[in-house]
Amino acid sequence: MTHLSPAQAVDVAAGSAAPALIAHAASCEPCRAKVESLLEAVRLAAEDPPPDPSPLFWPHLAARIGEAVRREQAPAPSWRPWLWRLVPAGSLAALVLAAGVGFRLWSGTPGTLPGTMDAPALAPVEAPAGPMAAGDASDDPSWMLVSDLSSQVSLDDAEESGALPLPGGVEDALVQLDEIERMELARLLRAEMAALAPAAPQGPGA
Amino acid sequence: MSTRADAWPAGGTRPDWTLRVVPSNRDEPGRESPLAGLDDRQLVDACLGGRIEAFDLVVERHQRAVYQLCFRYVHRHEDAADLAQEVFLRAYRGLRRFRGDSALGTWLYRIGVNVCLNHVSARRAPETSLDEAPQIPAGGDDPASSLARAERGARVRAAVARLPRKQRATLVLRIYQDLSHAEIASVLGTTVGAVKANVFHALGNLKKLLAEEAAGKP
Repeated sequence: MTHLSPAQAVDVAAGSAAPALIAHAASCEPCRAKVESLLEAVRLAAEDPPPDPSPLFWPHLAARIGEAVRREQAPAPSWRPWLWRLVPAGSLAALVLAAGVGFRLWSGTPGTLPGTMDAPALAPVEAPAGPMAAGDASDDPSWMLVSDLSSQVSLDDAEESGALPLPGGVEDALVQLDEIERMELARLLRAEMAALAPAAPQGPGA
Repeated sequence: MSTRADAWPAGGTRPDWTLRVVPSNRDEPGRESPLAGLDDRQLVDACLGGRIEAFDLVVERHQRAVYQLCFRYVHRHEDAADLAQEVFLRAYRGLRRFRGDSALGTWLYRIGVNVCLNHVSARRAPETSLDEAPQIPAGGDDPASSLARAERGARVRAAVARLPRKQRATLVLRIYQDLSHAEIASVLGTTVGAVKANVFHALGNLKKLLAEEAAGKP
């Protein structure tokens, strides 16, 4: 059998070696000397006794450490759990971003869905032409101002500004008119229709 | 056990049920459980949960070991107390990093060894001179024997201080703190085999240094 390695010698000196190693150390002079040297060094080291402070020292030290700890802030929250919580959200965001970029590159037209075209701007709404019946709204300067301005606004601009009514908005407005307003609206509509309609044929007895 | 049913007045209609009042085992809301019965891991969790007094118990349980480790590096009572405080402060600051893979004591030893090595590195002057007057322990046998023992202790202390860092840490943890080879490996972040080799060489070098000192060599 070969001589004891340093680790085996330490195990034999500590009494934790396998029986075969202990037996070898007992029979092998160099190995026995090695183990005895270790044991002698342990005895020498033990000549430096442990510190032996007063029993009153321990409560004092504990109180001192307790005060120092209380001057500290609370243990810093660990960022790692939060980071792990953000991983799914970050992955999702990266996925959406990648899909968006890929989609735009594939379509070749930034901001345009494939297969669609830019809609042409609609022509400006023309103000109704023709003479207005006497006593109708054409005499109203406010109405004329609104009519004048509206003739210069395109349908796209009006839609973008939110000026166009929502679906069902006209019906809602009509319902909210009171009796006088409804009568006035009816009169205006009749006047408009009369102005646009061709002249009715005259009866023989009329 | 006396019950309401047993004490029912004569002549009354005795109910067919028995009322017993027993203490509740449920925790009362807002009432915190006592800390003394908790193990180290539970104390750490309680401290991280905002109960700073749980750390007081951690200190109470481990302050001796930490102080003695520090003392082995500085050999002065006040310095050892300062270093022990520093070890616990560092532990408190990094409490969330304690994962419980090893014992709390092992983790504190790891911090302690680092704190002590940093301290020793910062002030390279030897903590104990071979010629330094030894402290004579109070009490005991005759003064001459006490003085001789104190002198031997001082020489050993000085020789240990001259060991390479790893060997010194290994020797202190093995001989003076009585840690197992596996615990030392965990503290120093090395293998058990390396710890045993370090113990072997540390003891050999200690003997050599003491022999040189006895022979009058520097």
